[in-house]
Amino acid sequence: MKLPLSWLSDFVDIGDITPNELADKLLSIGFEVEEIITPREDIKGVVVGHVDSIVRHENSDKLWICSIDIGSETVQIVTGAQNVKQGDYVPVATVGAELPGGMKLVAAKLRGVDSFGMLCSGSELCVDDDVIDGASVDGILILPDDSKVGENIMHTLGIDDTVLDVSITANRPDCQAIANLAREISILLDKPFKMPKLTYKQSVSGEIPSVVITNKDLCSYYIGRVIHDVKIDKSPKWMRDRLRLCGIRPINNLVDITNYVLLEIGQPLHAFDRKFIDGGIIVRKGKPDEKLTALDGNEYSVDDVLVIADNVKPLAIAGIMGGEYTGIFSDTREVFLEAARFERSNVRRTSRKIGLRSDSSSRYEKGVDWKSVEIGSARALALIDELKCGKIDCAVTSDGTQMPEEKIIRTTKEEICSLLGIDIDKKIIVSILKKQGIRVKCEGKTLVCTIPLVREDIESYADLAEDVMRFYGYDNIVSTHSESTTQTFGGLGIYDKNVSELKLALRAFGCDEILNYTFISPDEKFKLLYPPDDRVCGEITIKNPLGKELSVMRTQTVSAMLSSIAGNCARKNNVMRFFEIGKVFIADKLPLTTLPDERDVVSIGICNDGDFYTVKAIVDSIVRMFGQPEYTVSSAPFLHPKQSLRVEAHGISGDFGKLHPLVCENYELPKNVFVAQIDFTDALNDLPRIPQFTAISKLQPVDRDLALIVAKDVAVGKLLGDVKNSSGYITDVKLFDIYEGEQIPAGYKNIAFSVRFQPAERTFSDNEIKSLVDDILRLTSEKYGATLR
Amino acid sequence: MENLKEIQATAADKLIAVDSEIKLAEFKAFVFGKSGLVTELMKTLKSLPNDQKPQAGKEINDLRVAISTMIENKEKELHRMAIDRAINEEGIDLSIDKPLHRIGSLHPLNRIRDKLVNYFVGNGYIVYDSPEIESDYYNFQALNIPPDHPARDMQDTFFIEDGILLRSQTSSGQIRHMEHHKPPLKMICPGRVYRSDDDSTHSPVFHQLEGLVIDKNVTLCDLKGTLEGFAKFIFGDQTTIRFRPSYFPFTEPSVEVDVSCFNCHGRGCRVCKNTGWIEILGAGMVNRKVLENCNIDPDEYHGFAFGMGLDRITMILHAINDIKLLWENDVRFLHMFD
Repeated sequence: MKLPLSWLSDFVDIGDITPNELADKLLSIGFEVEEIITPREDIKGVVVGHVDSIVRHENSDKLWICSIDIGSETVQIVTGAQNVKQGDYVPVATVGAELPGGMKLVAAKLRGVDSFGMLCSGSELCVDDDVIDGASVDGILILPDDSKVGENIMHTLGIDDTVLDVSITANRPDCQAIANLAREISILLDKPFKMPKLTYKQSVSGEIPSVVITNKDLCSYYIGRVIHDVKIDKSPKWMRDRLRLCGIRPINNLVDITNYVLLEIGQPLHAFDRKFIDGGIIVRKGKPDEKLTALDGNEYSVDDVLVIADNVKPLAIAGIMGGEYTGIFSDTREVFLEAARFERSNVRRTSRKIGLRSDSSSRYEKGVDWKSVEIGSARALALIDELKCGKIDCAVTSDGTQMPEEKIIRTTKEEICSLLGIDIDKKIIVSILKKQGIRVKCEGKTLVCTIPLVREDIESYADLAEDVMRFYGYDNIVSTHSESTTQTFGGLGIYDKNVSELKLALRAFGCDEILNYTFISPDEKFKLLYPPDDRVCGEITIKNPLGKELSVMRTQTVSAMLSSIAGNCARKNNVMRFFEIGKVFIADKLPLTTLPDERDVVSIGICNDGDFYTVKAIVDSIVRMFGQPEYTVSSAPFLHPKQSLRVEAHGISGDFGKLHPLVCENYELPKNVFVAQIDFTDALNDLPRIPQFTAISKLQPVDRDLALIVAKDVAVGKLLGDVKNSSGYITDVKLFDIYEGEQIPAGYKNIAFSVRFQPAERTFSDNEIKSLVDDILRLTSEKYGATLR
Repeated sequence: MENLKEIQATAADKLIAVDSEIKLAEFKAFVFGKSGLVTELMKTLKSLPNDQKPQAGKEINDLRVAISTMIENKEKELHRMAIDRAINEEGIDLSIDKPLHRIGSLHPLNRIRDKLVNYFVGNGYIVYDSPEIESDYYNFQALNIPPDHPARDMQDTFFIEDGILLRSQTSSGQIRHMEHHKPPLKMICPGRVYRSDDDSTHSPVFHQLEGLVIDKNVTLCDLKGTLEGFAKFIFGDQTTIRFRPSYFPFTEPSVEVDVSCFNCHGRGCRVCKNTGWIEILGAGMVNRKVLENCNIDPDEYHGFAFGMGLDRITMILHAINDIKLLWENDVRFLHMFD
């Protein structure tokens, strides 16, 4: 919220405190100053001057010689402008003055005549017609006749004010009003608070429209007043300046007053042109087919929307915007002034529904309290009276619910202090609460606190504790170490421990951890060649995404992995090994009715840093941490059909292998990319098995090397696995060569491996070894057609 | 036998010149071969009178042992020479490197996450994981943010369906935890959260760490002590913290917590934007309504809660100036924090 310091000074004397000091103090009571907007500092030494006389320069057709009274003296200035007359008030840059752009004024001679300064145009002072009329004319800025000679031009133009942009927390809608914030500052600075003037003269009593509220749940209070003999004009400069500093465009005196009161009191008001009101005012829901053209010129359907209507038609969208038809224009002679309390959540919903926001609606959304309706109405009438805008009718028309009771909170000093952990004197607590308008009665130990309606946020002693601390000072909270609380054990759960172990293993295999967004583009699945009926395509869609590329919750993690690799390749980082442990979101059915399954997926990506066997080795190792891997054919569409496998183990399943060449193209990747995507969810939540010791034999093992010839399409890994499992004595089978070519028949290959036999009770005899080897030869011959080379 | 010494001297002389295995074999033959020096001497033994045989035999044997020892030494010397020659041939260029595959790096954000998690776990907290796709009830209503409450504007939430959304705060974990566990409670809930914000300091996906303590006699001073301990652990022993009033619907009183700048220690610098303080987290005493929503008696129990942005803490500590860097996964970036 914008807080001009001059406006603040109407209610509290802030003395010579600097804006920075004030900002620090506001921070200590919970109001953060986001920005201190200071007046421009590049205009210095420019004052108001009065043109005492003006004569033509003898040696020039265009130049004029002026005698200018600048208060302290009268100076001679030569000007080339043609719009200056004797008696005008003008901005004068005196000798030594500074102007925007770093220009510094010096005394000069123009065609032989001395000139001690310069008369300024609006553009030279960087102001336009919004700031002051005539600023945009070609020539010197002619100031109003009531300007004060010698006054700093910044002040005359009303651009010398400092504005604090204060952030108001959502619990303090009351402080969205300059007067209420000023009250907080008066407590902070320990200075008296001056209420704004709320009194006015009332005159004639005519007949005024009645008010009936149909939906009292949505509008709890409505006051209508009428002003006769209205003279629509510009509002005074001080009011326009203040509105502008707060970001509101001045329009005319009546509208400006309603906006001024909105900022000062926090009460939105609306002014209707009385002559267009047929009969009385009804606050009701809009009917089907009812439409209203609002002041922004757009037509809105008001079906089921709370409106202010007369006997015939809707006049305004309640709390959001008035209709164009009943707006205040220069021909308005009679005004109906509305001050009302509309329910905040309804204003919020309606504003979003019809897509229209205004200063009024955003104020209502935060919450307007009961009392400010009367105060706001009175303040507006006081200003109308003060600015002589019209005659105020003494009749008041209103409707509403019973004013709510003020809340009463019974607490004790002990209760408040038990939450805070420090001891504060009861007298201090009472005094701080009273300063904030809370009435406190002491009944023995009990503090009976009556909360004014304006403080809707206060609901319990905890809120009172906060309001005490704000002014008592949070620096008085000391650090204690939970001495009077229970000892707890804490610790990592199974899941976190498993994740840690898994990450440690992946890092040991040289993989860097990466992070990716969990929402992605709906196109990624097609880039991975998933058919439309695949489960992966059942993504959960975000209703209000930042863009299509971030619009669905991911069901796979491969696309993010590939994009990360591609991003690196585009920067000539060509070699990498990555892993991500991230979530995918699997809907039971769409649209979602229950929360989806959030599954933990490990993805691995290897680019120019290994081959199929690298990714297989890593996958095998990490799966083995949790269970025995089983390998089968993979049907993952993003993988190379000839270089991919599916892996499964207890609580684990996934696919890995070389990337499909088409997917490489889709992601603009090099050919040498291997990926894995494995769901570990159930394994990660399993208690890790505790490895058990098995005795290590003291007997020497025996190694035998074997070379077999098998058909080319024999899966050697399977054959070796069978060899290993063929006898309990075999502890290791190591492949050391696969050879095709010379000396091997076409369509066959030679495999060479060593087998280690571990005796259990006594060393093997030669015959026993031979028999074990023969078993291997028989097995491989029968099952794989192998022959000994 | 006078000539024995002579023979020994001759052998020794000859052995000096031996500089290879072959020459050593020749020398062995020269001494111990069929007609070697010592062999010939042995033959002369037969012709000696019996009473001289033992003496002569002993002397010849002594000679044999002496020469054998000389040969053994020579063998060791030759072996040593052979090794030295081999060593010489094994010289390599020591100036080049052949690196091993490097150990993978943990992402800097998760490094900080683990550090914080370990700190709180060591202080008696358990770690609680809570869903990212969440119901309106846990993300808002149970946290004292009813529908259409202006506090909903504090966060731009992503919605999935009516009543289902992407959690905008890990505070949802507070409710889920309290529903299933009875006080005394000490828990942290680290995780991803989502808000519709995107600039150099905001990412639509980011990470928070929520903390919750519920017990009898918990006070605002205990909250300060807890957070001060944490701040000193992360930012160094000189660090102090300050509370300033703020508003969160689920805590009352609510505070913003600033830590003294670890870079300038309060003098004012770029890191703290010349204020001497860095805003680091929000906290407060758990709102009575939140406790009631979880069936915990607010007259018996108090609690405090705090929530911090892991991305922000990571960026501050490592002087990372753009949050996008955390998500780009540039290998040069990932390798910077080992």
